[in-house]
Amino acid sequence: MSWLSRLKNARGNQPPLSAEAERALEAWHALAESAHEQPHFESRYVVLNTEATGLDLERDRLLAVGAIAVDGGLLHPQDAYHAQLEPLPGDALAGLLGFARNSPLVVFNATFNRTMLERAFSRMLGFTPEFLWIDLYFLLPSLFPERLERPGRLADWMAAFEIETFQRHHALGDAWAIAQLFLAAQSRALSLAVTSPRALAEHAQAYRQKIKV
Amino acid sequence: MSNDAADLLVGASMDFLRNFSPFNRMEPGALTFLAERAVLAFHARGSEILTPESGVPSHFYIVQRGKIQARQTGQTTVTEYTSLTLGPGECFPIGAISARRPSTNAYVAVEDSFCFQISADDFLHLMQISPVFHLFCTQYIASLLSQSRQQLQSTFAQRAAEQQTMTTALGKLIEKEAVFVTPDTPTRSALERMSELHLGCMVVVDAERRPVGILTQSDLLPRVILAGFDLARPIGELMTANPHQLPASASAYDAALEMATHGVRHLLVVDSDSVLLGVVSERDLFSLQRISLRQIRAGIDNAADIEALQRASKDIRQLALNLIAQGIGAEQLTQFISALNDALTRRIIILARERHELVGIDFAWLAFGSEGRHEQTLSTDQDNGIIFRCAEPKQLKDTRARLVEFARTVNEDLAACGFPLCKGNIMASNPELCLTLDEWKSRFGDWIREPDPQALLNASIFFDFRVLYGNERFGDQLRSALNKGAKGNSAFLRMMAANALKVMPPLGRIRDFVVDEDGTIDMKKSGARLFVDVARILALRTGVESSSTVQRLRQGSTKIGGMSPEEVSAIIDGFNFIQLLRLRSQHLETEHDSAEDNRIDPESLNELDRRILKEAFRQARKLQLRLKLDYQL
Repeated sequence: MSWLSRLKNARGNQPPLSAEAERALEAWHALAESAHEQPHFESRYVVLNTEATGLDLERDRLLAVGAIAVDGGLLHPQDAYHAQLEPLPGDALAGLLGFARNSPLVVFNATFNRTMLERAFSRMLGFTPEFLWIDLYFLLPSLFPERLERPGRLADWMAAFEIETFQRHHALGDAWAIAQLFLAAQSRALSLAVTSPRALAEHAQAYRQKIKV
Repeated sequence: MSNDAADLLVGASMDFLRNFSPFNRMEPGALTFLAERAVLAFHARGSEILTPESGVPSHFYIVQRGKIQARQTGQTTVTEYTSLTLGPGECFPIGAISARRPSTNAYVAVEDSFCFQISADDFLHLMQISPVFHLFCTQYIASLLSQSRQQLQSTFAQRAAEQQTMTTALGKLIEKEAVFVTPDTPTRSALERMSELHLGCMVVVDAERRPVGILTQSDLLPRVILAGFDLARPIGELMTANPHQLPASASAYDAALEMATHGVRHLLVVDSDSVLLGVVSERDLFSLQRISLRQIRAGIDNAADIEALQRASKDIRQLALNLIAQGIGAEQLTQFISALNDALTRRIIILARERHELVGIDFAWLAFGSEGRHEQTLSTDQDNGIIFRCAEPKQLKDTRARLVEFARTVNEDLAACGFPLCKGNIMASNPELCLTLDEWKSRFGDWIREPDPQALLNASIFFDFRVLYGNERFGDQLRSALNKGAKGNSAFLRMMAANALKVMPPLGRIRDFVVDEDGTIDMKKSGARLFVDVARILALRTGVESSSTVQRLRQGSTKIGGMSPEEVSAIIDGFNFIQLLRLRSQHLETEHDSAEDNRIDPESLNELDRRILKEAFRQARKLQLRLKLDYQL
């Protein structure tokens, strides 16, 4: 059975996807897997952020997604994605996949964002796409211990770098701030010989393990 | 894929930019263009964003957050700051990216910083679509340059001074305490002191210690030994009276020029009260010079034939090249060349006179064009003529024929000595240019009355005349007739002005220079001429007697007013710099044994010279603008 018919079964009584969304999904499935071992300046990262009705993973719903590409160490305002889930959540998420392609995803606080997104993918599209996730929540304190010794909130990191954004608590507005933090992180990582997306993800993971102890 | 995300972020970038000048005044379309293309990058503290070594900048940067320091690198300081800190909203590098040349600054992040950047192509496009941004950039560059001009000049002067001592004041060159005697001193005791102290000359002073005479070693043989002079008699009877002297503030150049002009080997240095300070000898000036000016001068004056003059001509050339290599300024250098070439030409004329019967003919030899202006370079061809008097109309034909014959010899001899024959036949051997004073006057008058293109061209060559040999009065009379005629004919001057404005300074809007197809600039046609033509008009209008461009500019603008002495000096500096580049390129060309010409590839100049050249062209533009206003063209 093809992924498409599996998808149709799994999605149950969700509204049908638009032709554009179907094309985006088809294209996404056709992408080759990436080893994520190329250097930063050859990598396209996608900084991803969500907006939900609240912070309770059990009860709150996903409202909007925002994404900005950091390509070759540069933040490209033209290469960005933003969508409200309503009224066509399937289309919104398919569009996000079309934008993200097989890029490594950068989020601030994966526990919330990744979980929220994966549930939505599963419910609306009938599957959970595989990505390389990089969590700034752990990566930032591991790279910049001189600024914050332990994991902090986004607002703390923005204050530490004096980073501002045009609109807080907005999927894209916060993504803009997170993307700038990621630019700084990339630069510091490079100086520490953490040179690829895979290495970044592992660096964050290692820090997470360390602080658990 | 939704586009509202991009719109939102581009809008946010625009909001950010609108907080700063010139973006707050920028046309909406241009601002959108900028914000759409501006990508954000992070620069960690201490990292270099752009350096001179990066070559031509590929990006234009706008600081979004943090601090970027611009640091001067290299030996030459081109701005008054050595470092400058840029904060949010400020951008760099404006000059380098506009001119597509490497930056003179190193840009280093002194804090963790974020900068927007656009590509150089987008920057240039933005300049094109946004008049506001274009103005901002050009004003920035202009202010930078005017601010840097003085710095450049002092650096340049300093460098020149370090390289050689020719700008040294004579007062500093005097090493020994002045030795002198009074006119009543017995010759024997004066000579004994000369011998004892190994002096090349003895200075004779009055009671106030003011020089009244000099006796040099070379005077001893003819005046003392061969003449059987009684050594008991006072030195006052033997000395050369009225010795050549210069103030202590005069430069070594001045002294060398004085020596070359008068053919002397010693000069007395005096203070402001004419009191003797010391003696400067040729050896003091050119101890390192292989060929001395005096030697060349003596070689010219004593030359018995053309072969000897040919050698002298080669020496002049070699000396000029040595002086260029020493970094001497254009004004002094052209004066040297001019003084020595004049001496050479005079000697050729004197030798030619011996072979031609000219007794009873009152005439003057005229130099035209650059030679007439004292602005000869090393590759100037002949431009000359004759002015003569003929009281008897019957003898006019015969007199002219004899002068033309004589002139032919001079022209050929000059050619043999390295002054190429004039292709346009502007030579004294052309009967059309061997004229009486009245004929010259009416010739000049015709051109002024009917200024057709040929007349204007002629004016640009012949009006720069001066008398090089013979009766100076002819020159004075012709000059005063010319100035009177031109002054009274504003239509003629206006035509001259329009003609002069046909050539524009080769300054580019985006690139530094507008170059010809082969990438070079003709420094004569598109360089020196810009100044020379305006100076000529200024001189004719204000009745300046001098034919030199520098003098014409200086005296003419003083008369006409409206320009401060500083502005005039800046213009003259511009002209001199262009002349220097011409001489320098001829120098290099000769070393490479290729044909000399006036073409210069601005890319081959170093950063400093390129900037000064650009400034020189800006000065030419200023001068032209003045002319434009004066004649409402």
